[in-house]
Amino acid sequence: MAEPISAERFTILVERAGLSLTPEQFEELRQAYPQVERMQRNVRRPRDRAAEPAHIFVHPRA
Amino acid sequence: MDPTQLTIAEASRAIAAGTLSPTTLTEAYLDRIAALDGELHSYVLVLRDQALKAAQSPARGVLHGIPIALKDIYKTRGVRTTAGSRRYLDHVPDEDAETWVRLRHAGAVLLGKQETHEFAIGGPDFTLPFAPARNPWNTAHYPAGSSSGSAVAVAAGLCAAAMGSDTGGSIRGPAAYCGIVGLKPTYGRVSRRGVFPLSYTLDHCGPLTRTVEDCALMMQALAGYDPQDPASADVPVPDYRAALSARLDGVRVGVIRHFHERDAVEGFGPESAPSAAYGAAFDAACRTLEGLGARLVDLHLSPLIDYVDANRLIMLAEAYALHERDFQERPQDFGHHMFARIGLGAFLTAADYVEATRQRRELAVEFARALSGVDVAVSANATGPAPRIDQVPVYSTFARASYTGPYNLTGSPALSVPIGFEDGLPLAFQIAGKPFDEAGVMRVGHAFEQATPFHRQRPPIAASLPSQR
Repeated sequence: MAEPISAERFTILVERAGLSLTPEQFEELRQAYPQVERMQRNVRRPRDRAAEPAHIFVHPRA
Repeated sequence: MDPTQLTIAEASRAIAAGTLSPTTLTEAYLDRIAALDGELHSYVLVLRDQALKAAQSPARGVLHGIPIALKDIYKTRGVRTTAGSRRYLDHVPDEDAETWVRLRHAGAVLLGKQETHEFAIGGPDFTLPFAPARNPWNTAHYPAGSSSGSAVAVAAGLCAAAMGSDTGGSIRGPAAYCGIVGLKPTYGRVSRRGVFPLSYTLDHCGPLTRTVEDCALMMQALAGYDPQDPASADVPVPDYRAALSARLDGVRVGVIRHFHERDAVEGFGPESAPSAAYGAAFDAACRTLEGLGARLVDLHLSPLIDYVDANRLIMLAEAYALHERDFQERPQDFGHHMFARIGLGAFLTAADYVEATRQRRELAVEFARALSGVDVAVSANATGPAPRIDQVPVYSTFARASYTGPYNLTGSPALSVPIGFEDGLPLAFQIAGKPFDEAGVMRVGHAFEQATPFHRQRPPIAASLPSQR
């Protein structure tokens, strides 16, 4: 697995998310974060600008 | 005669003929729960008095007098519904899940509520209030999740059928590891109303049963439009049991081999490699389909990881959004696994989510095109026997290959059916179909099941109790 994000950078992400983590939770999530980065890389690809998302707004029935 | 050994179809015939009463059947299941569930932990609440009262109801429908149970994320009016979480330990809903309403109207008897991973994602977690359910084939092993209690109870003969939910494989994974049948219907086919959500656009409700015929009977009661579920589809419901047949002459079956033969290791590493026994069982299952008259063709799709990553990213984003306030304000209420897994959703961006949904559309279109030349597709399910329950990594949810997630992403109906055993533990494959063609999927599953012995093999613990022999 790829190297985990640095503790300094991960602290910024945790603060932005508004989470209060114990040291154990911080480290567990930091070590797992490369899984998120892999998924992010996989779905962020060059696409035609007209490529629509899977779910679009549908008018609800009254 | 032990009535808990009967399938739903057999029990229904006996009830209709007057040779078995719903009360006798319900008592037999309650006795088995009392005798065996201390070891299996499949129930978090047993409704003995209510079940015995319900068993005396007049005949109503296709499930008259059939004892079933619900994963404990299905709301039950006046009956505690915990979602497997400390957060809802005392939660007593004032509404029923629409699926339970339909099952009850069809005559089903509710035996109780069943163990689930916390909010259908956090398990097996020994820090939760309820012990994780154990695999009835070997109680040292994992039954998979999150519909773990439901699958364990069906396999062990502690209910005739159960309801699970499936966001990335939570019906089909437990069905595979427990050696039973599990159906994730088409997105929109079965109402999700009144079921604790995990991920709004990926959640599906469906049955776990011992046979495909029983699955068809459950679906007859469950399927259909629910105007109060925004995702529900107004599509006619066929006669599912009438669609079952013993032969598959002329049926075109696409085989997706590269998911397990190439993509699992390429995308997720050697720990996701299928066992040799699994590969042989999958090939033998395909030969059985050919022997029944089906025409097999290989299907080639994008790599498995493309489907799985999009599915998992959408699930993470939607689940975290759902629980964000509790993550920020009462994190101590979560079990370890739920916090560790869904907590990762805090670090996604809106653009990540939108990009994943764009990838979802691309892959759904690809899959629809691939299926346009066949009737159904078969692909792997869990590609080896269940691991020990104390050896399930907390991040296996994201790090290992998943063969079930692609069909949550595409919204396709997908059925898990047993195809053999390895080390005394069950193996399974999936049969997926076109939108709303559960009948076609079950037709292939039923024919396969009737031509093979696996569904008749039951875990040793499912043998009759001395008093029921």
